Amino acid sequence: MTRITRRRIVQGLGAAATLGPFAIGSSQGQTQKGDIVIGAAQPITGVFSFAGIAMNNGIADYCAWRNAKGGVMGRKLKYVAEDSGFKLDQSVAIFKKIMAAEKPTFFYGESTQWVKAITADAVAAGHVMTSSTSLATVVADPANVPQHFVPGPTYPRLHEILMEYIAKTYSTGAKPRIAYVYADTEFGRDGIPGGKARAQKLGLPIVEEIVTKQAGIDVAPEVAKLRRARPDIVIFQGYILAPMPEFVRQMAEAGLNPKIMGTAWGLDKPAYDALAKLGVNLTGASMYRYGHETDSAMINNMREHLAKNRPEVKFISPFYVSSWLSGMVFAEIAERCIKANKPFTLANMKAALEGMKDWDSGGIFGQLVDLSSHQIPVGRIYAYDPGKQAMEPASGWIKV
Amino acid sequence: MRTGVFHESFRAEERLWDSSTQRRWMLAFLLALFTMPLWGSDYLLAMACIVGIHVIATLGLNLTTGNAGLISLAHGAFVGVGCYTVAWLGKHGVPFWLALPAAGLLSAALGLVVGLPSLRVKGIYLAVATLAAHFVLTFVFREWEPVTGGVPGTSIPRANLFGFEFHGDRRNFYLIFTVAFVAALAARNLGRSRFGRAFVAVRERDFSAEILGVHLLSTKLLAFAIGAFYAGVAGGLLGYFYGAITPEYFALTLSVFYLAAVIVGGLGTVLGSILGALFMTFVPEALRLAAHLSSQWFPGVAALLLPMGQVVFGALIIGFLVFEPHGLAAIWGRIRRTFHLWPFKT
Amino acid sequence: MSEFIEYSLLGLLSGGVTALVALSFVLIYKGTGVVNFAVGEVMMLGAYFYYAGTVTFGLAPWLAFIGSMALIALLAMVVERAVLRPLSGQPVVAVLMATIGLASIIHGGVEAVWGGDTYSPPTLLPRTPLMLGDILIPGTALGNFAVAALLIGGFLAFFRYSKTGIALRATASDPVTAATLGININRAQRLTWVLSGLVGTVAGVLIASSAGLSPLLASAALGVFAAIILGGMDSVLGAIVASLIVGWVEALGAGYLGGKSRDIVPYVVVLAILVIRPYGIFGTRGIERL
Repeated sequence: MTRITRRRIVQGLGAAATLGPFAIGSSQGQTQKGDIVIGAAQPITGVFSFAGIAMNNGIADYCAWRNAKGGVMGRKLKYVAEDSGFKLDQSVAIFKKIMAAEKPTFFYGESTQWVKAITADAVAAGHVMTSSTSLATVVADPANVPQHFVPGPTYPRLHEILMEYIAKTYSTGAKPRIAYVYADTEFGRDGIPGGKARAQKLGLPIVEEIVTKQAGIDVAPEVAKLRRARPDIVIFQGYILAPMPEFVRQMAEAGLNPKIMGTAWGLDKPAYDALAKLGVNLTGASMYRYGHETDSAMINNMREHLAKNRPEVKFISPFYVSSWLSGMVFAEIAERCIKANKPFTLANMKAALEGMKDWDSGGIFGQLVDLSSHQIPVGRIYAYDPGKQAMEPASGWIKV
Repeated sequence: MRTGVFHESFRAEERLWDSSTQRRWMLAFLLALFTMPLWGSDYLLAMACIVGIHVIATLGLNLTTGNAGLISLAHGAFVGVGCYTVAWLGKHGVPFWLALPAAGLLSAALGLVVGLPSLRVKGIYLAVATLAAHFVLTFVFREWEPVTGGVPGTSIPRANLFGFEFHGDRRNFYLIFTVAFVAALAARNLGRSRFGRAFVAVRERDFSAEILGVHLLSTKLLAFAIGAFYAGVAGGLLGYFYGAITPEYFALTLSVFYLAAVIVGGLGTVLGSILGALFMTFVPEALRLAAHLSSQWFPGVAALLLPMGQVVFGALIIGFLVFEPHGLAAIWGRIRRTFHLWPFKT
Repeated sequence: MSEFIEYSLLGLLSGGVTALVALSFVLIYKGTGVVNFAVGEVMMLGAYFYYAGTVTFGLAPWLAFIGSMALIALLAMVVERAVLRPLSGQPVVAVLMATIGLASIIHGGVEAVWGGDTYSPPTLLPRTPLMLGDILIPGTALGNFAVAALLIGGFLAFFRYSKTGIALRATASDPVTAATLGININRAQRLTWVLSGLVGTVAGVLIASSAGLSPLLASAALGVFAAIILGGMDSVLGAIVASLIVGWVEALGAGYLGGKSRDIVPYVVVLAILVIRPYGIFGTRGIERL
């Protein structure tokens, strides 16, 4: 090879190498034909697996159920999920892998970290909307996280609902003394400032605020502090089960018998069953109807589907309902875009989401909901009924 | 030992690459890596970025633990220090080419502080001191809200080189790859310098090293500081890559991950750091791939394989320790020797 | 003032269970020189075996307890033979990482078999609380402490008076001489591992009964390192005294500074001790040969 040709080749390679990264990727949305792909990074193993399995089943089952009913305007939903073990490295890698391989229209993620990490990429790609089970305030932000929506109220909203209910229930007589016991995690901490602010506005005294580690803790000094504070109501936040029963047991031994309240994921069957065994009727603010309720078409559909396809699943956890609901919203966004003959770009899908102002969730929420702020600030108070051994509604649906 | 290569001076013996064949392979490898954004998929590039970050951190830990023999369980926390420094400086308008070295320097300063107990204790006591330091640092990450954003974490503005913004994996890949290359070269050079020899002397028998004139305290502190510097830089790049981070990322498992990468790769060698980081990052991916493939032929095996991530991790560590204590670098060396001496046996 | 006394008492009582975990660690370090980072995981596994015995197989609690101890003893023997024996000459890093690897395997195995849910195993001990004037001591704290004290007292007596105990001490302090005197070193070291596992199981079951059983139980053992360093890593008495002190300081921290301080108080204690008295209160000062 002559020197000149060699030089030219090297120059060409050099130019290609320098120009390479500047090549702009295309942001085309999916065309109107073919399957609608929902990608997911689910924590099926790892510390969050009790929720991850339910979340994975939720979307998978919704897709199967919807496809059996003809899909979205004739197009099938295709669910592609991988296990992230609740590790950020893996969930981000899964996101990039599925984005490259399948070009999904929707993506379901595992945590707040993940949402914040992939937002820039998702917006740059321009053809995907995301959702997650996290109810954290930071991700319900149409300006900074435009592609994401929260399938429910954020944690502070739930606490505000709870405070309103307490104020109404104790409207006559002395104001109840409230104690907060929460875990030092995002799940525990996110809602507390909102709850405290609303309590202050309503004149409800917060007499004790106890922060604990996530688990494996010795609650005796904490109970000693509660004993001195003598609360009438103890609100737990951030725990699925432990250490609530131990707290209740030791408080009973100390002569305390406050009402126990919680929100969202802390009102699941393991919690209310365990506390019922100790004679405590759990109360709290939940955003979805429970799986045993019969006055909702969609909840009935879930029950039937589970009975037929997953007979080993004994009860419907709120994580399952949450991801099923996300699937519903995904399908609704897709349907609105198809009807308006618009391609699945971020702008169009975001507009479709924000246009869902009076959307019927099939009864998962008890009223028509408005998703224009990328969250659904609606909830209801439930209280445990020892006769029926289940959580029953204790208020109407409250919107904050 | 490559046949036909005879060193005629000390300088020649110290050279990084001793033959032209080696240099050519190295060049080809670098070229392939450098052009990866052209031929690689998004997924491969993202993985390459993550591997690059882990390589830099593992290089640092290998200097502290592999070369100098000082077990450090605080490495994950140092990575976190780098990440939060870059976040805070970025929010205050400091450009990345100042913020990244600053992150490294701050981590190095903290590494010095964490290394101070080596004044009084060594071996396992030092390891427990680093463990305590790790927990103190992660506590600060979670609680010092004005600076670190607390439990919800913080966002990191993208790296910006005079208007050229490093958003997206392809651009970040260049940044990470360049820094990783420089870091590996620096680590290799350090290994063959006076300080590198002092590290090894301290690892083998520190009293004897002291008698020979190696100043123990400053050598040990330097080992910690340099290791932490690498970790800080890796943390800064991590921040630029992810754009947002929470303190959960910097748990003790991250420190254990880096230690495992050092052991599996090979204590005290740069090649070991690179191979170890590469291997440990791909183990969960490989496991997922295996689960995915097996679910097509043997359904049900996937459900057993998926939770085995941690078991495989632990089994790998123990397996390497028992059967191949010198790690992947030794296996690599053996393979190379077979090729050099072919058709003769080693 | 009564607050201070209450927190102090609670702390001392919880220190009893920490002492069990610390004992589990110190036994191995004293007996074989190995730093066992898998102490928490073994403890957790013992608790899970107990849970499996009572709930899955429907055995009576005491029977399940003995069963889980037997299984852990078996595991300890396997680990000693398969992992620690091949690594006996290697540097500290290697053995440390081996125990970390072991911890990973056990943790992953537990998650794979039982999942990440929290369970409530049945309690072995009665729960009647004790009222001392204004101060209330919960029954679990008293019960746990009583069991821990009994077990530790038993161990101290065992090491002091029984032939096997003295043989173990001999192996720990000078293996070569002990072998010369006819003590079977391998068997002694195996026994040390088995005893450590048994103690860990007891601690695990006690903690699980009061705090719930989940894979996060293992991380409760990390706080034990403060006690071990304070007491001296090779001193049984030191581990006990130090655990009580650390439990006391932790409870005071939780009471006056809030629950979050539990994360950091033990480690600040570790750092302080390493600066002031690195070998701990009762530890033997290491002597190195050139």
